[in-house]
Amino acid sequence: MQIDTVTVIGANGTMGCNIAGIFASFGNAKVYMVCRNPSDAQEAYQRAALSVRAEAIGRNLIPKGYDDLDACIAESDFIMECVAENLEVKKAVYRRISSSIPKRAIVASGTSGLSINTLAEELDEERRRQFFGVHFFNPPYSMTLCEFIPSQYADKTQAHLLKLYLRDVLHRNVVEVKDTAAFMGNRIGFQFINLALQFAEKYKYSGGIDYIDTIMGGFTGRAMAPLTTSDFVGLDVHQAIVKNIYENTCDYEHNSFVLPAFVQEMIREKRLGRKSGAGLYKLVRHSGGAKEIYVYDIETQEYRPKRKYSFPFAEHMIFHLRNGNYEMAFRVLVNNHSPEAEICLELLVRYVLYSLYVSRTVGEDIHSSDKVMASGFNWAPPLCVYNALQLAENFERLADRILPAELKNLLDMNEILVDIPSSEYDFRPYFKAKG
Amino acid sequence: MNNVYILGGAQTDFERNWSKEGKNVVALLREVVEDGLHNIGFDYEDIVRLNRENKIACFVGNFIGEYYINQGHLGALLTEVHPAFHGVPSARYEAACASGSVALDSASSHLRAGDYEVALVIGFELMKTVDSKRCGDYLGRAAFYEEESQGIEYPFPKLFGRLADETVARYGLDTKRYLNNLASIASINYENAKRNPLSQTRKWFMSHEQANLRGGETNPCIGGLLAASDCSQVTDGAAFVALASEEYIRRNCSGRKPPVIKGFGHRVAPMKFAEKMKESQKNEQILPWTRQTVIDAYRRAGLTVDDIDFFETHDCFTSSEYCAISAFGITPCGREYEAIESGRISFAGDKPINPSGGLIGCGHPVGASGVRMFLDLYKQVSGICGGYQLEKANNGMMLNIGGSATTNYSFIVGNSI
Repeated sequence: MQIDTVTVIGANGTMGCNIAGIFASFGNAKVYMVCRNPSDAQEAYQRAALSVRAEAIGRNLIPKGYDDLDACIAESDFIMECVAENLEVKKAVYRRISSSIPKRAIVASGTSGLSINTLAEELDEERRRQFFGVHFFNPPYSMTLCEFIPSQYADKTQAHLLKLYLRDVLHRNVVEVKDTAAFMGNRIGFQFINLALQFAEKYKYSGGIDYIDTIMGGFTGRAMAPLTTSDFVGLDVHQAIVKNIYENTCDYEHNSFVLPAFVQEMIREKRLGRKSGAGLYKLVRHSGGAKEIYVYDIETQEYRPKRKYSFPFAEHMIFHLRNGNYEMAFRVLVNNHSPEAEICLELLVRYVLYSLYVSRTVGEDIHSSDKVMASGFNWAPPLCVYNALQLAENFERLADRILPAELKNLLDMNEILVDIPSSEYDFRPYFKAKG
Repeated sequence: MNNVYILGGAQTDFERNWSKEGKNVVALLREVVEDGLHNIGFDYEDIVRLNRENKIACFVGNFIGEYYINQGHLGALLTEVHPAFHGVPSARYEAACASGSVALDSASSHLRAGDYEVALVIGFELMKTVDSKRCGDYLGRAAFYEEESQGIEYPFPKLFGRLADETVARYGLDTKRYLNNLASIASINYENAKRNPLSQTRKWFMSHEQANLRGGETNPCIGGLLAASDCSQVTDGAAFVALASEEYIRRNCSGRKPPVIKGFGHRVAPMKFAEKMKESQKNEQILPWTRQTVIDAYRRAGLTVDDIDFFETHDCFTSSEYCAISAFGITPCGREYEAIESGRISFAGDKPINPSGGLIGCGHPVGASGVRMFLDLYKQVSGICGGYQLEKANNGMMLNIGGSATTNYSFIVGNSI
């Protein structure tokens, strides 16, 4: 597939801008960066080059306003829509551009979870065949995942060629996913994060938010603790994602997508996370300049200094991981029966099971969720977690021990755990020797 | 002469930052040792069994762990990895960035002499424990610190920048064309690294144009003519190679013999860069001892450049790879540009250099680099490189240098006949 010219619509947004950088660098394509405001386009152009650490791609990036949109599109081999994550806004864009799209051109939406079939229907029948969901993750330079979602109208040959282009030219880790709410990465990732939020509410008397984040620290296979991640993403965005999944899917973990009441309240109070200065956490600057991280206390509904918890299971795990003793680390986790170790285990076991369930139902194969979580979230992939836990205990026995009875009644563990292969990823780098 | 054979080996993923993972040197060593033993079909019991008869020894290459990780006595550190190493002869070998090679040389010498039957060679460096300026200062100890490094920010890029200046001056090159050639060297190494699943830069973007755009925010000048794209980057990592004696192979390997060390060269040039230049002033070669090292390896192997299918070289900087082209004998001195511009040293060329990505693309954990290059020679001639496997790879040569081309090491690895 030859792609020489690309139009990115909504190139001033974080994703649009960074995706423009990927096409202009790895793809060596001329990229029209179309933004509503010309000064935004100029600023986005500089950010795009820096996002791939290469000023040389500047000659490939051309900032444009909406007045030039039709001319840009008419010249393009690939049109990448990255406007706001709102169905009506996106539909309006497709209606606007539909007649200008050259017959040869591929059209892609960067949506993180809206229906690709619904969006395709905004295009005329011929152009619908060349329309796909192409979901990049942030920041795309280091997160190489690309979820690829053909609509039901998609041309199979074009789909195949486009996947090869994304893989071989843009160096993306391409995973084909069915057109379902939030696709795969966000469905698995936000199930885990939202469940962690529910646990924070459930364990509010033990500390709540920072208590759960300490239990699920780097030693459990992630660079950033789950509730810190939610704060980073923004609670409003988090809410939109779990609401979409809750309303449009139905599986055994359905209830884990219910947003806890305290988070709804925080959103109403505009405590949205890092972007609004306060959310689950906030940075407090004391007089004299010292900074301190405060956390929202669910019980008192006030911010307090983040606690330095000391959990023996976590300390022992970190000690063994520091020395590269992975088996010993997971033996500690499995054999330590403190409430914190049990919470940690339950969240990990549910992460593995749900990922494999989603992988089997909306992915290409059982490895899909590994690819998605490794290259889209930088979390220990589910099969890696499975392999690591198996060092210490049979996973099925462990799941049987740790899962709540009501959940066990809802899921068919035998079906999920049939023919589990080894992960294609090395699990060792993911489990950090730190909190 | 007793041959020395290569049983296999392993390297860690050079993309990893062990400080960010919170892991220590024992974790690094444990990982590379366990992966290496697994690769050669050994377990710890095999080490215990061979050690009962004093048939196995370990050779650890490392440059300057005393600074990066506050740890010396690095040969003995293997006993922390597993009790199987208790009682096994083991020592650390150091020759700056050629530390891995001096460990390989010692190991193969002992095997040739019949002292041991199996040698485990491990090279490693953890460098991301400090910021880049301090890292540069530590590396400055590979030069004559007092005169060439003390108080100088990033001394090594500056030394290899002087090598670039000397190359342009001595061969009367057009600077623009020379820099264009260096940009080709950088972009070829980055491109090759994209095929290597254990390389440091496999996700990074680099193009010839970007490598040639020196001086901006994303490619700052760092040493004379050289910019960031001309430099290998700070890397954490380890590499492991298992060598075996003729006697061991005779008793344990039925069928085809494993790849063999066909030749080696080892020469030491004057420590100080200025002294090197003074000494070679009337010589066609800017780095005559580097060239002599390669000639020695060819002589010992009974081979010439025509017999070598590929090279792994010490591209700590693009200017060093440029000089290596004539040192290998691919072109005469002063005409290195021909091999670059014609594509001969590219992955698809007839004399590919650094199919692994080299130090610039694959990474340069200094004490590991010699062992990593040697491992890549073994993997290529064995046909097990996967995505970066060359079509023709019967004999490969490596050049590993320490300091400003002060310690020079070359090995030729090839398939047994």
